[in-house]
Amino acid sequence: MDIGGLLTTAASLMLTGMVGVFIFLSILISAVLLMSKLLGRFENSASSVPVRTAKLQPQQGVPPTHIAAISAAIAQFRNKQQ
Amino acid sequence: MDGLLNLWHATGIANFTFPALIMIAVGCLLLYLAIARNFEPLLLLPIGFGAILTNIPVAGLSDPGGLLYYVYHIGIDSGVFPLLIFMGVGALTDFSALIANPRMLLLGAAAQFGIFATLFGAILLNFIPGFEFTLQDASAIAIIGGADGPTAIFLASKLAPDLLGAIAVAAYSYMALVPIIQPPIMRALTTPEERQIQMPQLRAVSKTEKIIFPLMVLSLTILFLPAATPLVGMFCLGNLMRESGVVDRLSNSAQNEIINITTIFLGLAVGSKLAADKFLTVETIGILVLGALAFAIGTASGVFMAKGLNKISKSPINPLVGAAGVSAVPMAARVVNKVGLESNPHNFLLMHAMGPNVAGVLGSAVAAGILLAIVG
Repeated sequence: MDIGGLLTTAASLMLTGMVGVFIFLSILISAVLLMSKLLGRFENSASSVPVRTAKLQPQQGVPPTHIAAISAAIAQFRNKQQ
Repeated sequence: MDGLLNLWHATGIANFTFPALIMIAVGCLLLYLAIARNFEPLLLLPIGFGAILTNIPVAGLSDPGGLLYYVYHIGIDSGVFPLLIFMGVGALTDFSALIANPRMLLLGAAAQFGIFATLFGAILLNFIPGFEFTLQDASAIAIIGGADGPTAIFLASKLAPDLLGAIAVAAYSYMALVPIIQPPIMRALTTPEERQIQMPQLRAVSKTEKIIFPLMVLSLTILFLPAATPLVGMFCLGNLMRESGVVDRLSNSAQNEIINITTIFLGLAVGSKLAADKFLTVETIGILVLGALAFAIGTASGVFMAKGLNKISKSPINPLVGAAGVSAVPMAARVVNKVGLESNPHNFLLMHAMGPNVAGVLGSAVAAGILLAIVG
């Protein structure tokens, strides 16, 4: 093939190649966006299902662990005083 | 006396040819660049050593029956080594930045213009006496612009095996020179204000998205560009092993042992193609010039695309990240980060540049697939 013919082929290859790369990666962009959207919706709906958790009732006053710790400290103090 | 004469004829000194000595010097230069200058040492050291080995007289390491002959035919002629490396690269790649901001794929696509413009340039060189590039040769040379070593070697082994040595050396040398080639182009094409643009923080990406992504890329390649499936398929396999989290042993092997062993033999096999009669030609000079041109055009078109996107996009895009669209992972992204920090010491662009950077890997694999499908 003469150089002129090769140049025409190269030019058309340049065009086809760039269009091809752009179309392929654009499809990939749409696919990724769609995937993220669908997964986002799925994960949201999954997390919006009411999950029964044994919620701790807010304690009134001082929690028992604190009372135990304070009583132990008082007992220790009294023992030392004796 | 005859015995002594025979012994003399068996020495290297009696058998050296001038071109072979030049090629041994080229091998030593590659070793120097790898060891003293730290230019892509993982590749240039075995390539440089391979170049020395293949040019040793009498030993015939690259002749049929020689070690390098077998390594080349088993690994490169068959196309196996670049694909194994691609699997390792897949296992090393984190697509989070790309999944969080998929528009960055457009930058990876734009940077491939370097490849196709160089193809045109390679054919133009035929006007100069001494150059006779066919369309296959031109395509193999142009892929240097993809800045992706394994892709360049894979395509060259399929389309222009005679030029493989020069193409591989040009591809890896320019990848090592990314920090020198890219910044001036990036600075020339952007204003100081543009370089200071800060980009919003990327969203977190779920594990499910990361697992589905390689499968989706593979499905699209199967549907639209089966010629690219050897490259993309191995890449996606490596990435799926990484992201699935259930085969850590395999993923670690792909990232370390397999890629390292393959790199040694790939380097040696490429070096074995640096024989004097193949490398010391006017075509090699053409390939080196075209390779640099391909890199420069790829960088520029990535930056231009990012500038365009910044104009039409709601969230700001720093045009510098477009330069990372020429794969060369992660070097190109680091260069973007460095140039960005020069303009604004608080603007860290590394994560944002990783998106176009890995998009560039996909883009060059797709471009290679298109060239294979049309020219191959």
